[in-house]
Amino acid sequence: MKPAPFDYTRPADLPGALKALGGDGARALAGGQSLGPMLNLRLARPGLLVDLRRVDELRRIEQRGDALVLGAMTTHASIEDGQVPDTTRGMLRRVAADIAYRAVRTRGTMGGSLAHADPAADWVTALTALDATLTIARGGGTSTALMAGFMTGAFATALGDGAMLTAISIPSLSDRARWGYYKICRKPGEFADAIGAVVLDPARDYRRVVMGAVGGAPVVLESLAAKLPFDSTPTLTRAEIEAAAPAMDSVDRQLHVVAVERALAQAYAR
Amino acid sequence: MIPVELTINGKAVKKTVEPRLSLADFLRDHLRLTGTHTGCEHGVCGACTVEVDGQIARSCINLAVACDGAQVRSIEGFDDDPLMEKLRQAFTAEHALQCGYCTPGMLIAARDLIRRKPGADLATIRHAMSGNLCRCTGYVGILRAIQRVIGEPLPAEVAPAPKAVVAVTPSAAVPPAAAPAGRAGWTTLEQRIDLPHAPDKVWALFQDLARVAPCMPGAELVDYAGGDRARGRVTAKFGPISASFEGEASFRADPAQRIGTILGTGRDRRSATRAEGEVRYTLTPLADGKATRVVILLQFGLAGPLAQFGRTSLVQDFVSRLTVQFARNAEAALAGSTAAPKQLDTGSMLWAVVKAWLARLFGRG
Repeated sequence: MKPAPFDYTRPADLPGALKALGGDGARALAGGQSLGPMLNLRLARPGLLVDLRRVDELRRIEQRGDALVLGAMTTHASIEDGQVPDTTRGMLRRVAADIAYRAVRTRGTMGGSLAHADPAADWVTALTALDATLTIARGGGTSTALMAGFMTGAFATALGDGAMLTAISIPSLSDRARWGYYKICRKPGEFADAIGAVVLDPARDYRRVVMGAVGGAPVVLESLAAKLPFDSTPTLTRAEIEAAAPAMDSVDRQLHVVAVERALAQAYAR
Repeated sequence: MIPVELTINGKAVKKTVEPRLSLADFLRDHLRLTGTHTGCEHGVCGACTVEVDGQIARSCINLAVACDGAQVRSIEGFDDDPLMEKLRQAFTAEHALQCGYCTPGMLIAARDLIRRKPGADLATIRHAMSGNLCRCTGYVGILRAIQRVIGEPLPAEVAPAPKAVVAVTPSAAVPPAAAPAGRAGWTTLEQRIDLPHAPDKVWALFQDLARVAPCMPGAELVDYAGGDRARGRVTAKFGPISASFEGEASFRADPAQRIGTILGTGRDRRSATRAEGEVRYTLTPLADGKATRVVILLQFGLAGPLAQFGRTSLVQDFVSRLTVQFARNAEAALAGSTAAPKQLDTGSMLWAVVKAWLARLFGRG
């Protein structure tokens, strides 16, 4: 259980990090709570680890207009502990507090989780539901991408070689917004078997229902969201949720439908 | 080798270490602080829990070099801590340990919980302690011990926890249908692709191993001289992981029914993972025989390190993407293209296995 040898560098700023990441076999270390086990099992064998811990730009937290902008190296624990302004009526905090275990949350980061793109991870689903926008830096400059569509499959993203996720911009929820987030795990802290996430915000005429931990990228259930009222409880049947879900086997379908059902119930109970 | 400077249990430490050295091994092997235990060594069991900059962390999945400049506190550093003293007494009184292997991690995690959530109820304690595994005493005594201390006022000397400073669905035509049960413990997946060519033409391609194998992203024939056996290699990448499976396959074909079966075994030398499986493909005509539907039933089992990541739904997603690329390459091959088949442009891994099967499988019938 010892990793295969690799080189290590700890750049002090963004240009340094981008330069290092441009090298052959380079891999970003953004907390390393998923990469660490893979290194130990020798499943991952990078030539060079680029530790982003010293890049201060990646820890910046700002409120910009109607959005909260979190640096990619923001840890789950700092969100859990309320060190990040609450602009989502408690949703970010609730999601963060239930990621893996405390000893993992203190080191693991939001940007690391998104770039790693494990389908069963929390942020890929929660931030799709919140309609986050990602800032991506590469040699030539920066660009933005919507979270919905950023993940292209299990452990696959639109990031591309040598590019780096630097910040996550999360639209603030209004006072009238509702949200629900429900995940099903065999044991607390384990990889999720199914996740349901719901965000409704009448101030922006925004409705989104997301089914996560599906194997690939989280699935936005548009037809289902369109049916949701803002001010009264919906009368959705389980069959309607099933009809909106992608194809999966009966056990998976049951888990995912229940997760969405419970997320909806939470949203409307709020 | 990289120089690293950090403070451990209040003492400054300066060493030169290999980048791959974990904080746990650094403590145990380089500093002889063997109170930190290593259990699973991949972040699951919690036995190696220590404090880094006042927050608990798993020392087995954090690199020593990544802790440069940090304040690390291992179980030895808590000898004079008043809260830890209370916890030690409670662990004794409630019979919260037997072999003691998980105990250093349990104590450090419990102390952190008590400082963060004084007065927490049993359900909260259970939930928070779920990241630390005990394999002999069981959890009842441990939970009682924590309950005993968590209800009391925090000792004045124990500082509260420090606050850090922080200002598509698979696109293919792939609905996996209910598949027949495979061998015990095997994973079964079904994939479908439709090709705009007549079944005879598709069948001919599938029987021509030298032509069809390259259509599978990552596949390579190592040794094939015709006949119903071949040796091959399949390399796959899945996120940060990559694997290369080398193995043998044998083929059977029923031209009348257009059903082919491939049986294979392979091994990834680097991860020492073995894979075994069967692929069955069935060709049926579509659109009055102008097109062909290929139904692929894949059944496989993995043994070894990679199997630990074998979450079926992930494999499914990977195989879906693989199948899409295979279908495109096969279509190009059927249309007479001589361009090099495209590889899967995604991340890296074990699903290589799967790939291995698909690869060979299409080989011959």
